[in-house]
Amino acid sequence: MSEGNILASKKVVVSGGTGFVGAATVRSLAEKHPGCAITILDQSPPRAQHALPEKVDFVRVDVNSMSEVSKALQMIKPDVVIHTAGVVPHLADRFGRRLEREVWKTNVQGTKNMLDAAVESGVEAFIYTSTCCVTTDDMRFPYPNINEAWPTSPASLIYGESKAAAEALVLQASSSKMVTCALRPSVLFGPGDYQLIPSIHACIAKYETWFIIGDGFNLWDVTHVSNVADAHVLAAENLMTSRTAAGEAFFIQNNEPITFRDFCLAIWAHFGHVPSFEVHIPEALAYVAGLVCEWATWATRSSTTLSRGSVRDACAMRYACGDKAKFILGYEPRIGIEEGIRLSCEVSKDPTLHPGTHSFPSFHSSYCLFDVK
Amino acid sequence: MGLIGNVIYFAFHPIQLRSIIQWKVWHNPPHERNEKDDTETQKACFKFLDLTSRSFSTVIKELHPELLLPVTVFYLVLRGLDTIEDDTSIPLETKEPLLRNFKDFLEQDGWNFTGNRPEEKDRELLVQFQSIIAEYKNMKPAYKAIVKDITDKMGNGMADYCVKAATEDASVKTVEEYDLYCYYVAGLVGDGLTRLFVEAGFGNPALLKRPELHKSMGLFLQKTNIIRDIREDYDDERRFWPKEIWSKHVDNFEDLFKPEYKEAALNCNSEMILNALEHAEECLFYLAGLREQSVFNFCAIPQAMAIATLELCFRNYAMFQRNVKITKGDACELMVQSTQNLNVLCDTFRRLTRAIHKKNTPKDPNFLKISIVCGKIEKFIETIFPTQKAEDAQRRVKGELSRDELEKRKAEAENKSDVYFLLAIMGVIIFLVAGVMLVAAWALGARFDLAWQEIRSGNFRPPAITHKEL
Repeated sequence: MSEGNILASKKVVVSGGTGFVGAATVRSLAEKHPGCAITILDQSPPRAQHALPEKVDFVRVDVNSMSEVSKALQMIKPDVVIHTAGVVPHLADRFGRRLEREVWKTNVQGTKNMLDAAVESGVEAFIYTSTCCVTTDDMRFPYPNINEAWPTSPASLIYGESKAAAEALVLQASSSKMVTCALRPSVLFGPGDYQLIPSIHACIAKYETWFIIGDGFNLWDVTHVSNVADAHVLAAENLMTSRTAAGEAFFIQNNEPITFRDFCLAIWAHFGHVPSFEVHIPEALAYVAGLVCEWATWATRSSTTLSRGSVRDACAMRYACGDKAKFILGYEPRIGIEEGIRLSCEVSKDPTLHPGTHSFPSFHSSYCLFDVK
Repeated sequence: MGLIGNVIYFAFHPIQLRSIIQWKVWHNPPHERNEKDDTETQKACFKFLDLTSRSFSTVIKELHPELLLPVTVFYLVLRGLDTIEDDTSIPLETKEPLLRNFKDFLEQDGWNFTGNRPEEKDRELLVQFQSIIAEYKNMKPAYKAIVKDITDKMGNGMADYCVKAATEDASVKTVEEYDLYCYYVAGLVGDGLTRLFVEAGFGNPALLKRPELHKSMGLFLQKTNIIRDIREDYDDERRFWPKEIWSKHVDNFEDLFKPEYKEAALNCNSEMILNALEHAEECLFYLAGLREQSVFNFCAIPQAMAIATLELCFRNYAMFQRNVKITKGDACELMVQSTQNLNVLCDTFRRLTRAIHKKNTPKDPNFLKISIVCGKIEKFIETIFPTQKAEDAQRRVKGELSRDELEKRKAEAENKSDVYFLLAIMGVIIFLVAGVMLVAAWALGARFDLAWQEIRSGNFRPPAITHKEL
């Protein structure tokens, strides 16, 4: 599988390739398969925080425009398409329906555009960056050690719903001419992550590190971005050779379920902060507080930090079994959580590498982020 | 602790007392032993078992009759080896051949050894070793071969260690050496026991194909003992903690016991516990391969004690000052929980893993690693005993009822009809009893006709009887 010649002189298109997951995938692909020709389709030009290798072409394309996408793929005639472009609503809009149309347009219609154009231009393999949220955004239930036999939820949050609909389109489109598969990473972190680690770091300044909602034993999966990038490359290799992954979805994560509290504590410890005491807030109480905050938010039209949704996110049990990805794709996480956090915190500590222009969401509960367009 | 001390202790710790009573009252050994039928040599074996082992003798004596004597003999043979190795008064030139040839002594009728110094704790076992040899010879050939093979390997391992100790520095340096040491003293025992279980048909033969599983069983117990006994071993001038680990926290081993290095000692202890916890998953996996209750109990009790001991030692500075031990009440509770089935034992493991998790602190350099190993144990338990199934989730999304829910509804409906049936029976019984009483009253001359008339005319109470004065 790991021979560098599987994708040699093949043409690979990565949509959303200047984003978080896209750029990492491009880096991983260029490293493992120096012989393949990579073209990035994205509406944003390459960005400083998401480094890219040198020998990569860039075409400015909006996936929402069928004509632009079609024209680009007809021109490139790629063998493999890796579709990472998508929109992730910010935390403030995660639990509401305000951005529903926009999210659906990019995530579902954009994916359909890519699929149709790929079939038209004779693409052999199509890999879709889905998310674990297709299952776990239905927040009514806990998800301990779930696998791919679990259903996707048609009615959850706008993000999970839209990704589930798009994933279904992709998997149904798998045929002998063009094989497809979908990868479902969990919460992501890594270099260029401007949400998760910075916002957890920001809790120190806001004196939010003392509070634990719920029992603090609920396990989560996190994924280092370079691991999910590796998974994309493995999926491409599989679809171009044995095709055993055709029409399949895979949960991708670090396979080290961790309590979200401990993940935060480890990051704070990297910045020299250890909470001097802890306050346990029962889930029910936090839920009521979340409801009150939502009313206050609605009344004052400000953006919410605490909500019922974020309380549920913080208390949820959500981790997946990585066996299917291991056996079919041969996926094993290369960067463990500990090393990943160390690398990320070093970047965050270095002011020259730290893009200071973003505003971070203040409450750290849920980040299903891949690529923000 | 005297009687009064005990009374006061249990007055303030009623749950501990409850656990002890529960164990004593409700625990039934899966196989009762009839001591009257024991031969002289068997009696000797069980006597030595009681003398040499506090923790193992109970569980061994409850084993299935098929394995009772083989395991007892196996244990005593290894104990004999240990007694020779431990005795520092025996010179190397005598000790080395003794250890290496110990497997052959098993075949020599009447062999015994009187060369131990008088203060050696288990000296008597070797003095009367002929009884153990007699029982060894009564065993099935397959069991004998296993016991002999492990005795051979362990004897040579010990001899190598003694030679090394005499010629060079034998202290445990790397983690690899630490694992190897634990393998020789405990992992080999796991190897032999597993082969005995499979031979007797009480263990899944697949266990033999996964040697890392029984290796973990032994290493988990041995590492726990090494961690717990740090103070005792230090006072006896023995060191088992590998330098590779302690040197990350202190420059000299002695510093672990100095109050000014308290934090370093605790962090070092955490790393040792982390190293041991990495075996926990495989131990549970191993236990899933056992097919007989007494064998399961025999293996599960020490494992439950081990994880409880690790929980007790984790971030507990007292273990550097004195020997810490789980309380008798906790031990009884653990024994109750580890003599049921794997599911109950897994709940215990999860509870204790979470207790360790809770004490974990970000000040510890291994904070994240400990958190991750705890998460992995929990994930593993979820893998073997899922709390939810994908099929149920599928049904939930479709809005259907799960099979459990359907069964629950069915059971509720059945309960309801049961209640009606009971009420009907009660009615019939009341009717019959009332009838019998009425007939009896009538036969004895009761005037129902008069009573009826009185009631109809509105007199519900009997007329007041006024006694005339006498």
